Amino acid sequence: MAATPLALKLTGISKTFSGVSALEDVTLEVAAGGVHGILGENGAGKTTLMNIIAGLMRPDSGRVEVMGVPVPLGSVRAGRAQGIGMVHQHFKLVENQSVLDNIVLAVGKSLFSRSPRRLLRDINYWCRELNWPLDLDVPVGSLAVGRQQRVEIIKALCGGGKILILDEPTAALTPAEVDDLAMAVAGLTRAGMTVLFISHKLLEAVRICRTISILRRGKLVYSGTTTDLSVDQIAEKMVGAKVDVPRLTQLAGHTEIPPMLELVDVEYRDEKRGPPVLKQINMAVRPYEILGVAGVDGNGQSALAALISGAVNPTAGRIVHRSGGHGNARIPLGYIPEDRHKEALVLPLPIVSNLLLRSYRQRPFARWRFCRFGAWRKHSADLVRQYDIRCRRVEDAVATLSGGNQQKIVLARELSQQPELILAVNPTRGLDVGATAFVLRQLLEARERGAAIILIHGDLDELLSISDRVAVIHRGTLTITAWPDTTPAQIGRLMLGGM
Amino acid sequence: MIKRFLVNMWNAVTAVALAALVCAVVLALAIGAGALLGYPPIHLADLWLRGAAGSWYALSSSCADACPLLLTGLAAGVAFRAGVLNIGAQGQFLLGALVAVALTTRMMIFHQAELVIPTALIGGAVAGGLWGLIAQYLERYRSVPVVLSTILLNFVALYLAQAALQGPLQAVGTAAAESPEVAGKYWLPLFVPYTDFHIGIILALVLAILLWVLQQYTLFGFEARVVGLNPGTAKAMKMPVTIRQFQIMFISGACAGLGGAIQLLGQVHFMTAHMGNYGYAGIAVALLGRLNPLGIILSALFFGFLDTGAFRVEESSLALPHDMANVIKALVILVMLVLAGLSLRRARRAGRDAAGPSTPPMRESTL
Repeated sequence: MAATPLALKLTGISKTFSGVSALEDVTLEVAAGGVHGILGENGAGKTTLMNIIAGLMRPDSGRVEVMGVPVPLGSVRAGRAQGIGMVHQHFKLVENQSVLDNIVLAVGKSLFSRSPRRLLRDINYWCRELNWPLDLDVPVGSLAVGRQQRVEIIKALCGGGKILILDEPTAALTPAEVDDLAMAVAGLTRAGMTVLFISHKLLEAVRICRTISILRRGKLVYSGTTTDLSVDQIAEKMVGAKVDVPRLTQLAGHTEIPPMLELVDVEYRDEKRGPPVLKQINMAVRPYEILGVAGVDGNGQSALAALISGAVNPTAGRIVHRSGGHGNARIPLGYIPEDRHKEALVLPLPIVSNLLLRSYRQRPFARWRFCRFGAWRKHSADLVRQYDIRCRRVEDAVATLSGGNQQKIVLARELSQQPELILAVNPTRGLDVGATAFVLRQLLEARERGAAIILIHGDLDELLSISDRVAVIHRGTLTITAWPDTTPAQIGRLMLGGM
Repeated sequence: MIKRFLVNMWNAVTAVALAALVCAVVLALAIGAGALLGYPPIHLADLWLRGAAGSWYALSSSCADACPLLLTGLAAGVAFRAGVLNIGAQGQFLLGALVAVALTTRMMIFHQAELVIPTALIGGAVAGGLWGLIAQYLERYRSVPVVLSTILLNFVALYLAQAALQGPLQAVGTAAAESPEVAGKYWLPLFVPYTDFHIGIILALVLAILLWVLQQYTLFGFEARVVGLNPGTAKAMKMPVTIRQFQIMFISGACAGLGGAIQLLGQVHFMTAHMGNYGYAGIAVALLGRLNPLGIILSALFFGFLDTGAFRVEESSLALPHDMANVIKALVILVMLVLAGLSLRRARRAGRDAAGPSTPPMRESTL
């Protein structure tokens, strides 16, 4: 490593947020011209570190050097002048403006200091280099997520970036798009760029990056090549202790029990005359089993979830919901929605209130239409302990918690009521290894109790590890597979529309 | 409950104390400037304070002035906290007054004061509430934003009042748009004789405390809060979102309408279409009171004292224009909004720090 020049050198970077330390004395060197992965769980400090490099945040102490030149801290402009370009996890694009306008907007002064023709030449150069044909005149909002990301990357490159920071670039991509991105990143390094690749998905990072740094709770725990460590060792360094993904041990054999929920010839259209989003769906889920629904995002999963949760009604067919006397069920459906910020949590309200959103009307928590806060607090304290929600006080706003802890709140609320039927949509999306294992384990425990569980999940590995039966959804059509008498590869082909 | 009351009250006291401080600074500056212009500074301050609270009578007129502000403030506060952006307290206030004047001068069914006064007050409240419901209906079923329709309905209410006051409700023997004076026996009774302490003030205070209990302790209040902060979650939790929004709008409009009726029967006793800007001022009162009914009580009193004192100064030999009070009010609101913005940013930063930068901005949990 000493042979190649350093693209980036960080010395003793520390940052605390209102007393909580986010980064502690991080010293890191990145060689020029390669892909360097920054790995860590959610909340490990990856994004904070990148924001500091890009000049979006000021560290409390420490130094940043690019190509041996110290960069003034806390200034995006200075960072950009040194050739640092950042692609944020949540894109910073103006959706109703065209691709070209977005790039012009970001490159900033270019209208005066550089001729538009030269900018166009740059754009075309990078498009050709990366083999990404881009239509510059369409509004960004009309592009798919993967395409929008390309615009972001081109934007950063045209800004004169020599060091490109990609923050969780694969979070919103389909597997095929991830491959595509990996190719592009390889192309960039050939062109002499240095890429910082932030991820909490281990396998991806190992595949794409040559060298990695691992952050855990704000500290750098490893920096070196990927080949020196096994995948298990990397995982261990990320999490701290060894965690394995929970796995279903024994399949359900309760075919004699009548199904808890049955969909018969269900069809659903968004608009009256529009094409059906879901066609001829037939499925049933019984107590003591997990029915996994696999599929590439956008094949009708959200419509299916909305139908089962009762948010919308089918345009044809019927949904039969039987309430069997299994378990100690008090509410019919436990729902873990895909977007917890929109459908499951009220971020500004305290943890207590969020934990009580399902049961606040029930007996110990309400009397004569009045809230009994004593009972609320007691119940919340129990749940916080039981579900290991990490918080300072139950009166804190949910917005102050990390994503994993927010999801634990949703789980605690929905599962503690011991529902007969559980619908979980991408319940581990955006969670780190530890929280993912926790969520899957909770679902398995609910299954042991006798709940019927529908798991609509984009992560095939996790899905297969805990499902009794697996269905595949593709373009609104649902196929029940012969799992476990079939291979994951065959299921993967079904997801892409093959037979 | 006592503890929560004290905590809420304390928050309100600090907010209003801060406002008073700001006010004192502004006043000091004004007095300084006044000294340059030839107003004797100490004399001015003395007049102002005595005008607002120097005697039982002064105190009572300050409270009587705070009363409609309290009710319109409650109207704004209750609605904003539930995410219903009712900017229409002005129109609802006017309509409440209009119905009250109609029920006490023209449409008389009974003639006993014990029956007429409650009917007029309830009629005013219901009128204000229904006027608000129009806007909520338009939002829910015709996709017209409440902010827009309530503002527009303010003008409708204004011209409706004007038309009524030049038509069926016009006083005999005048060309102006004004109603006849309400008969003395239908005025709101005073609980301290020879002052402005009318029972409407007590009614408003009781209402504020009831609304506080409703907001802080009942399932209704909790649901309204959740609906206001995140309608998507409220819906997923099977809360009756639409019904709560309509109910909140009715309560809000009824507060403003009651304010109009009380102002009419307790204070002015005859109606013109220009009954002051209580509706719009109520928004400021609610913001200063941080949308908490207890805070709104204090902030309404604060505004009432400021206003009444200014009138006394204007009437005195100094003749300082009453607009000075409005300047001070405006400055106080601006400073308070800046301070609220600062604390919001601090809270947001604290929230973001703990949860990572991708978390949406957190609103202050007291709001």
